[in-house]
Amino acid sequence: MLSTLTARIGLMGAAIGLSCVPAAGQRVHVFPDTTQPLHARVAACERLILGNHWNEGTVIHHVIFPPAGLDRPVVGPQADCLDATSELLVAYAHKYAITKDPADRQLADSVFSGIQRLERVTGVPGLFARSLNRTDTALWHEKTLWYPEWHASRAMPGYRWLGDLSTDKFTSIVSSVSMYWELCADEPHRKAAAELLDRFVGRVVNDNFKLTDLDGKMTLWGNMCPDLPHQPLNSLLMLMGLKATHRLTGKPRYDSAYRHLIRQYRYDDHQILSKMLFPEEWRNVGDDYHAARALYLLLRYEEDPSLRNKYRMNLNRHWHDWKSMDLSWESSPWFIMAYHVLTGEDVKTPYRQHHMRSLQGFERRRRTFEIPGPSGTARVESEEEVVSAARIRNYWFGRYHGLIDPAW
Amino acid sequence: MVTPPAHIILALAICIAAPYPASAQQAAAKRPKAPPGMVYVPAGPFLMGSEKGDPDERPLHTDSTRAYFIDRYEVSNRDFAAFDPSHRFPAGREDNAAIVTWSRAEAYARWAGKRLPTEREWEKAARGTDGRLFPWGDTFEESFVTWGPENSRGGSIAKPASPYGCFDMAGSVWEWTADWYKPYPGNETPMEQYGETYKVMRGGSHFNDWAMWRTSHRYYLLPEQISRYPVGFRCVKDAE
Repeated sequence: MLSTLTARIGLMGAAIGLSCVPAAGQRVHVFPDTTQPLHARVAACERLILGNHWNEGTVIHHVIFPPAGLDRPVVGPQADCLDATSELLVAYAHKYAITKDPADRQLADSVFSGIQRLERVTGVPGLFARSLNRTDTALWHEKTLWYPEWHASRAMPGYRWLGDLSTDKFTSIVSSVSMYWELCADEPHRKAAAELLDRFVGRVVNDNFKLTDLDGKMTLWGNMCPDLPHQPLNSLLMLMGLKATHRLTGKPRYDSAYRHLIRQYRYDDHQILSKMLFPEEWRNVGDDYHAARALYLLLRYEEDPSLRNKYRMNLNRHWHDWKSMDLSWESSPWFIMAYHVLTGEDVKTPYRQHHMRSLQGFERRRRTFEIPGPSGTARVESEEEVVSAARIRNYWFGRYHGLIDPAW
Repeated sequence: MVTPPAHIILALAICIAAPYPASAQQAAAKRPKAPPGMVYVPAGPFLMGSEKGDPDERPLHTDSTRAYFIDRYEVSNRDFAAFDPSHRFPAGREDNAAIVTWSRAEAYARWAGKRLPTEREWEKAARGTDGRLFPWGDTFEESFVTWGPENSRGGSIAKPASPYGCFDMAGSVWEWTADWYKPYPGNETPMEQYGETYKVMRGGSHFNDWAMWRTSHRYYLLPEQISRYPVGFRCVKDAE
C-alpha cells in the first residue's frame, strides 16, 4: 500500500512539474496560488503534505530539508506528528465520505497505518509514540526539544521514537480514529481501529486513567486520574476516550469506567469548567481545540439527556469566547463549523465564511540552524517548510457538512 | 484485624522517636535564629517518597536530615542579578523566580555561602514529617497554588506555606536539587534515565500538570539544557 502511495506522490510531482532544482527529499515545489479557487489550493496543499511531509504514514507539520545535517526531511524542532497525522486522517475520512473514491480511502488507510506504526515502534501494546524517525543514532535536533524522551526502538530496530505522550495527543488519536471508523474504514480496518483504541485506552484505564511511559512513570501531561488533582479539561478528555472506545469496541468495561468516573468522581460536573473564561489572558485556544474535538464526539455519541445537557453547558462556555474570536489560527474555523454541526444553529457570518474560504498555513523559508556535533556547533543554512493539515481537515469537514461550497 | 496504612504506622513511629519538647516556648528557644530570608528545619526523621505516586517515588520510607536552614522563597531575578549582572529578565519581574541552569544555580549558592538542597532536604522542607501530599496538607485546592510568576512569593490565595514556613513549593517554578536522578534504596523499577546524566527537580511548575505539585514527585532534567522548562531554585545552609 505504501509503495502505491509513493508512486502516487511521484506521479504528482511529475505531473505538476518541478519549478526549481529539488533538494534531496523534496518532491513537490508548487505552492498554492492565492488566485486559484479554494478547491485547487487545497489540492496543492495535499500534494505538498503528501510529497514533502510524509514520514511512513505519519505526516509532519514542520520539516527541515537537507543540508541541515540530514539526508531526508525528518521531524524538525516541532517534533510531534500526531496532531498533523490525525488531522489528515480526519480530512481523508471526510473526503472519502463525499467522493467514495477508493484512492481517498486508500490514503486514509495509509495514514491510519502510520498511527498503528507509532504504537508498533514502542514495542508495548497500547503505548504510542509522539513521533518516530528511521535512524540508528540520535539526531541533532533531539536535544532541542523540552522533553528528552527519545528512545531506540527494540521492536523496530533502526528507528528512534519520542515518548512522553500527552492528553492532547490522546485526543488526537481517539478522535481521528473514531471518525475514520465512522466514515471511511472498511470492515477489516474498522476492526483494526477498534482494536487499536481497545489497546490504547485500555492501557490508560489499567494505569488508573494516566498516560504512562515505557518505565511506568506518568508523562508530563498525562494525568486524567481521579486520585490526582487535574484540570477539568482532562476529565472531559477521559470521558471522551471511554465513550468512543465503548462505541467502537462494544466492550462493557469502557462503559463501566465511564459510569464510574461520573458516579464516583463527578467527572461530568468537573468537565463543565474546561473552558477558563476569566481572567481573559488565561483563555487558551490550544485547550479549546482539545475540548472541541472531545465535545464533537461526546455530543454525538451520548444519548443520556442529563449528560448531554452538561456537555452542552461546556460547549456554551466555549461559544461565549468563540462567537467573537479571531479565526486566524488554523483550527479556529473548525470550532465554528463543529458548533454549527452539533447545535444546528446557523452561525455563518461573512467574517466566518471569509475564514472558511481562506486557506493559509503553508510556508517555505530559509533559516540558519545551530547544529551541535562532536566537534562543536556548526551553522548550517537550510530550507524548512510548514504545511497545515488542519486547514485541509477544515476544508473536507466543511464540505462534508455542506458548510463549504464545492465551487469555492 | 484491620492493618493501618503504612504511612500512618511510619508517622506514628516518627512521632514516638522524635524528642518531645517540654513546651512550645522551650522548643522555640532551642531553635537557632535563621539567617535573613531563611527558615529553620530541625534535625530528625521524616517520611519520604510515596507508594501511590510514580514508580520512582517508591518506596515510602523513613529518611532523616541534619538541621538546616532553607530559603523561604525561590531565588528571585533581583537576587540572581546581584550575583550575575548579566542575568536578563523581563521588566517588572524583579521578584519572580530566576530561571537558570543547574550550574548557574549552584554557582549562585556558593557565592551566597549556601548550597543547593539535596532531594531529602527539599522534600522534608516541603512536607514536614507527616508524609503529606502537598505543602499545606492532603487535600487539593487550586487557590492554594502559585499559578504563575505574577503571584509568587506567598501570593497564592490561601494556606500556601509548608510546615516550616516555605512558600511556593507547589507550582510557581520547578526547583533544582543537588542530586542526580537515582533510585531510592529498595526501588527496583528500571528507569533508563537513572544515573549521573540528569539532575532532579522538584515542586512542579505552573507550566506542568497539577499532579507534579505533590511533595514527593520527582522529575529529571539535563542540568545545562533547561529548554522551555521553568526551573529555578532555592538554597540551603547547614545549621551546625
